[in-house]
Amino acid sequence: MIRHIKPLAFYMGLVLVLLFFLLPILWMIGTAFTPSGEYISNSLSLLPEHPTMEHFRALWKDGFPERLANTIVVAVGATFLALVFGFLASYALVRFDFPRYLDHSFLLLVLMIKMMPPIVVAIPLFQLLKGIGMLDSSLGLILVYQVYTLPFCIWMLLSFVREVPLSLEEAACLDGTNLPKRLLYIVLPLCAPGLAATFIFTLIMAWNEFLFALLYLSTPSHFTLPLYVSNFITENETYWGQLMGIGLLSSLPMLFMAGYVQRYLLRGFTMQMK
Amino acid sequence: MLFRSRLQLISLMLPATLLLAVLTLYPISQILINAFSYVDYAGAERQFVGLDNFAELIDDWFFIGAVENTLVFSVMASFVQVGLGLLLAVLFDREFPVKRFALPIVIYPMMLSTLVCSAIWRAWYHYDFGFLNNALVSLGLSPVEWLFDPSLALFSVMLVDVWQWTPMSFLIILAGLQSVPADIKDAALTDGASGWRRFRYITLPLVMPQILLALLLRSIDTFKLFDKVYALTGGGPGNSTSTLSLFIYKQGFKFFNLGLASAGALMMLLIACLLSAVYAWRYVGAKS
Repeated sequence: MIRHIKPLAFYMGLVLVLLFFLLPILWMIGTAFTPSGEYISNSLSLLPEHPTMEHFRALWKDGFPERLANTIVVAVGATFLALVFGFLASYALVRFDFPRYLDHSFLLLVLMIKMMPPIVVAIPLFQLLKGIGMLDSSLGLILVYQVYTLPFCIWMLLSFVREVPLSLEEAACLDGTNLPKRLLYIVLPLCAPGLAATFIFTLIMAWNEFLFALLYLSTPSHFTLPLYVSNFITENETYWGQLMGIGLLSSLPMLFMAGYVQRYLLRGFTMQMK
Repeated sequence: MLFRSRLQLISLMLPATLLLAVLTLYPISQILINAFSYVDYAGAERQFVGLDNFAELIDDWFFIGAVENTLVFSVMASFVQVGLGLLLAVLFDREFPVKRFALPIVIYPMMLSTLVCSAIWRAWYHYDFGFLNNALVSLGLSPVEWLFDPSLALFSVMLVDVWQWTPMSFLIILAGLQSVPADIKDAALTDGASGWRRFRYITLPLVMPQILLALLLRSIDTFKLFDKVYALTGGGPGNSTSTLSLFIYKQGFKFFNLGLASAGALMMLLIACLLSAVYAWRYVGAKS
């Protein structure tokens, strides 16, 4: 009998923990399918009595597809830009001989930018975007998102590029293969899993970004999904069905990717170099 | 072998360096100038005023409140998340049948947009129909003003952050626990050390580096707090949940007080630099 107490306590703890993390998400999914009259109540049930698609239909007419398209354009654009620039820089940082510790200074600067609160640079960036006529546009947002995405990509790709054996490149060098070809045919394929993981992380980051979208977008038809959510919260306090519909639809891609990036999560979030 | 061609080096580094310089070094130089200037509404004219902006900030009750809230939030949220993360990691540091499915579930909140998290929790905090108050009432307790009670609102925002980001501390500490060699744990077991003593004198010291790492990373991140406050309370009631980020946002984008906003931003930047210097000193070693 005594032998069973410990596993029992363990499983009870486990269930509690999983409930804490899962319950709000389950509630979001349930509410997205619950008719409006039903969720404004004092019930604790997570499942709708009369499931409905009305909220998704309303969202479809309210301009959800447009905002989804904006978000895809901005997130994918910002990710690609950061991945290309970041890959080149991290390759140089791993493989090249820098004069006067410039590589260390560069990495420290990148780290500082990564840790810096983005609001610090928000006002000058507003004037910068205004100056080049990119305020309220997807292109401008792709550009300023590099404040987040580029330092992240450089830092994360660094660890993957470092794992590519130098010997392969040395052999290619002796054969006279030039730098672009080495990058394209040797380093890039060997980094592919790392690039994929970095791509997904960066995509999630850009997909979920809110502050710059809030500050630099003003036309509702240019909004990204997080901004759409924020507007919905303030304008329609208790349209929870539609709100959770947006939440569910905009989270689905991220939740699917969670499984794939799980084993890279630590590399992505801790940015250690040792 | 390291490559030495300067031309190749420059062409590889140039795009990223240029972009980062335009997007961060230029803005920071602007902040540095504006922090010591009076800038008119349109930002067209600037006048050097020395430390006036900083003097005004120190006297500003809203600013001091925002500093206090940010510090309280950052310190408390980080400690709670790391504490819970440690508990969770100890719970998960063993083999059990459903582990493969349990782990992704714990990680889900981290994948959601902060705005989606805030939307869910704002609904849960609703006084009349929110899930939390429904639960309290069904247990026979009285409902709570989660977001409109000045003494509680900051903690309600904190709970959302704890929900979303405890998984990160958990993952960091779990990785540390799993790298503790099994023979050390076995040796303690054969010595007859009790569960608590094994944890206190063997496990805890061995994962201390990961605990500190998680604390540092979470405090750097919580120091930036903006999205959740914006979406949940807007800084209210009163000034009770306003943070530094929100203060700068309001000064810069609502009141167009660029000098004051820049002075606040500069102070924030200095604190962030201090935190990341600690981080760099502790975790970023030599390149090779």
